[in-house]
Amino acid sequence: METKNITSKILPVSAILVYLFLWLPTIVLVVLSFSNNKFGIKWEGFTLRWYADIINNVGIRNALKMSLTVALVTVVLSTIIGTLTAYGLYKYKFHGKKFLRTSILLPITVPYVVTGGALLVFFTRVVNIPLGYPSIIIAHVTFSAPLATFVVLGRMGRIDWTLEEASADLGANVLTTWRKVTLPVLLPAIIASAALIFPWSFDDFTITYFVCGIGTTTLPIYVFSQLRYGATSVINTIGTIFVVLPVIGLLLMNLLQKKKVS
Amino acid sequence: MSSSKSVGLREKAAKFLSDQVYLPYVGPISIWILLFVFAPLGVVLYFSFLRVGPFGQILNSFTLEHYRLMLKPTYIQVFMRTFVFSFGTNIICLLIGYPLAYFIVRCGGKWKTFLMFLVIVPSWTCYLIRLYALKTLTGNGGLINEALLNLGLISSPLNILYTPFAVVLGLVFGFLPFMVLPIYASLEGLDPSLLEASEDLGATPLKRFFTVTLPLTKGGILAGTILVFIPSLGEWLVPMLLGGAKVMMAGNLIEEQYIKLGNIPAGSSIAVVLTTIVVLIIYLSVKMGGEEVLERMM
Amino acid sequence: MTNKNSAPCVELRGVVKKFSGLVAVDHVDLKVEQGKVFSLLGPSGCGKTTTLRLVAGLEMLDEGDILIDGEVINDVPAYNRDCSTVFQTLALFPHMTVEGNIAYGLERRKVDKAEIKVRIGEMVELMGLGGMEKRHPAQLSGGQRQRVALARSLVLRPKILLLDEPLASLDRKLRKEMQVELKRIQREVGITFLYVTHDQKVALSISDIIAVMANGKLEQIGSARDIYETPKTKLIADFMGASNIFPGKARDKAGKNVEIETESGLKIIALKGKDKDGNSKEITGVSVHPELIGISHKGTDVKVGNKFEGKIVEMIYQGDFIETKVVIGRTGEQITANLGSEFGQETQFSPGEEVVVYWNPASSNILLG
Repeated sequence: METKNITSKILPVSAILVYLFLWLPTIVLVVLSFSNNKFGIKWEGFTLRWYADIINNVGIRNALKMSLTVALVTVVLSTIIGTLTAYGLYKYKFHGKKFLRTSILLPITVPYVVTGGALLVFFTRVVNIPLGYPSIIIAHVTFSAPLATFVVLGRMGRIDWTLEEASADLGANVLTTWRKVTLPVLLPAIIASAALIFPWSFDDFTITYFVCGIGTTTLPIYVFSQLRYGATSVINTIGTIFVVLPVIGLLLMNLLQKKKVS
Repeated sequence: MSSSKSVGLREKAAKFLSDQVYLPYVGPISIWILLFVFAPLGVVLYFSFLRVGPFGQILNSFTLEHYRLMLKPTYIQVFMRTFVFSFGTNIICLLIGYPLAYFIVRCGGKWKTFLMFLVIVPSWTCYLIRLYALKTLTGNGGLINEALLNLGLISSPLNILYTPFAVVLGLVFGFLPFMVLPIYASLEGLDPSLLEASEDLGATPLKRFFTVTLPLTKGGILAGTILVFIPSLGEWLVPMLLGGAKVMMAGNLIEEQYIKLGNIPAGSSIAVVLTTIVVLIIYLSVKMGGEEVLERMM
Repeated sequence: MTNKNSAPCVELRGVVKKFSGLVAVDHVDLKVEQGKVFSLLGPSGCGKTTTLRLVAGLEMLDEGDILIDGEVINDVPAYNRDCSTVFQTLALFPHMTVEGNIAYGLERRKVDKAEIKVRIGEMVELMGLGGMEKRHPAQLSGGQRQRVALARSLVLRPKILLLDEPLASLDRKLRKEMQVELKRIQREVGITFLYVTHDQKVALSISDIIAVMANGKLEQIGSARDIYETPKTKLIADFMGASNIFPGKARDKAGKNVEIETESGLKIIALKGKDKDGNSKEITGVSVHPELIGISHKGTDVKVGNKFEGKIVEMIYQGDFIETKVVIGRTGEQITANLGSEFGQETQFSPGEEVVVYWNPASSNILLG
């Protein structure tokens, strides 16, 4: 259909401006990560110095290790809990189901600053959970298990459940049915939720900030601590990695999906 | 008699057990939520009513002083600002996001996927890094000021950072993808024959937009609003980085009390108030039909 | 019959529409007379819907002219055209009530509120939608939705109503009812219909004029009866349900009959009068509708032009008739006859039996190139 009015000219122009707004800061960051300027705010010739720097930086290496470990454990724990929960919510009717659903939504809807603060108070003043790996992982799972639940739950409606009934009908017990039928059928949904949770956990600053304590930290917290010393080129470099990784991840996922379709 | 009674009991017990088959599934999350959501929130609620000792220790005596403190004009101002900024951010995201989503859907085909990709990717990269990038770009020595100075449009650098404008800019920057996404989905789901019918019945493109397209994508707008307005209410990173001490939002008050001042009861009372407001707004939007919309999106 | 002097309601002159190089509508010329039901009939992908959308203004044409009431409207946008479409999906606005849907077009035309009310009332009555005014489309049955879609268009009193397979989504019984209903409404309001369908039965029962389309071209235009009884080409014959199609060449054109010989040597007689186009086009075969063919026991003396001996290979009970397949002994052609089941004919014949099939030369329809 042809719309011969001004909107057809205004729309593309405004879209370009919006994309510029969304991407310009990031593009500048990536470009400046190759700049010879010590503070990383001006272009002073090409260099790979800062990349060499971060490879040799023990603090960054440790932070990266912690970020990856936390994200990995979080993904495993929250997809297990989330898948079980989604299955229970989808398949069974029970007393207090509605209440449970609302409760699961709570960690997603309560402001991060409240969740983070409340967990900090809880860990330090009520139960003694050391700040570090345990506290960060618990905080992350608290947020991402509900996320996994709703991602998996959302896809359950599109699944042909007669397969499971057939399996039970053919004499398989609950565990066998899960292993042979339910899990394979749910796998795409589980992968989708993992693909959402891993980058979230890896990137999270706002909740981690409250429960990380002092000492070893995750990469975003490390970046934040560097910010206090003003702009440095190292932040640009780490930032570039943070931008490039999800782009590669998303592209890969897109490719995989296309392969599956064809 | 007695034997039949015990059989009945046994049957009842067996039935009870078989009725609890859902427990292995929803048990773990229930325990987790109880331990790490309800308990901490309960503790926060409890602490918010406790007095603070001279050395910052929490005393076991009841008080409403932290809530009373919040009636101070500075606090009220911060809460008002939080509300206005969130509302403004939501409106700006809607005004920018709707046309963008509309444009992307109309592009169709390969372009559509690519353009949507460009919207989604930022929401998958580290929030902190993106905000830092925005900060360097808009700072006094940043690219924007440099460019404007070089072009001779300004004679001294514009003070963008640490202004309300910078904070709202940061909020829009951070939340725009979450407005575009649901609107895009609802526009995509629009039956094209409805648009043709509207045109066929005599609606000009503009009329068609306001009588058919917009009302039928209300769900997307509502979902986008839930995804933008509510998180902005609790936002603290954007004002901290771009607003500094001058332009604080409610979240910053909590962070300040908890981390910088170590006054747990005072921070808790602010957290309680903020959470109450957020939950109330969510409740209202669910009543307005947001739940259905959000579920469809998932 | 009363409008001999006025211009046709809709006229297409050499209309061409291409989609990325592929020709969807190929030089179509047609005239739709005022107050008639004109059907575009054809298999899916033949260009009939595109033709309708060109008239509606939902597609823009590449060549030719479209005229409504004698005026060229090629560049008039859809929202300013004096025609209205009933879509295949119906496209009722889900966020509006029945009333809102019917009022939609009137509101766009800035008709005043009181007048809108009156006209909605009329439509509701005409369509038998009383009591449904405040409902939303989702709360209506299939037939009711159909009526709302019709009402929404008719209330505008368009010069022509464009219908794009509007009955396709209904079940068989409802479809029949709505067919009758459509015809009644058309008579009552007297609006011209341009009706697109792939269902020959619907087209036959509803139309004054049928145009058969294939591959973007008009193949034949005529009354329902013409199209059914004397399809001009093999393609149309096939589409109109003539299951007996015999490709062949004219042998003997002397006298009032034509004799056509099929490839396997079967000689079929047809009336010459049926050969309308005279000798301009070459005869390529014959078609016969199965209900025009009779069957008798072997040895019966049948006094009709076409009679052949054969053997029944299959009898399929179809309810109101029995589809009987006979293989001609000498040439091996298979002929299908639909025997009425009312006289207990199934007891007369049985599969494997030797029989005579016969039909009148007048029932033979000549197919042209």
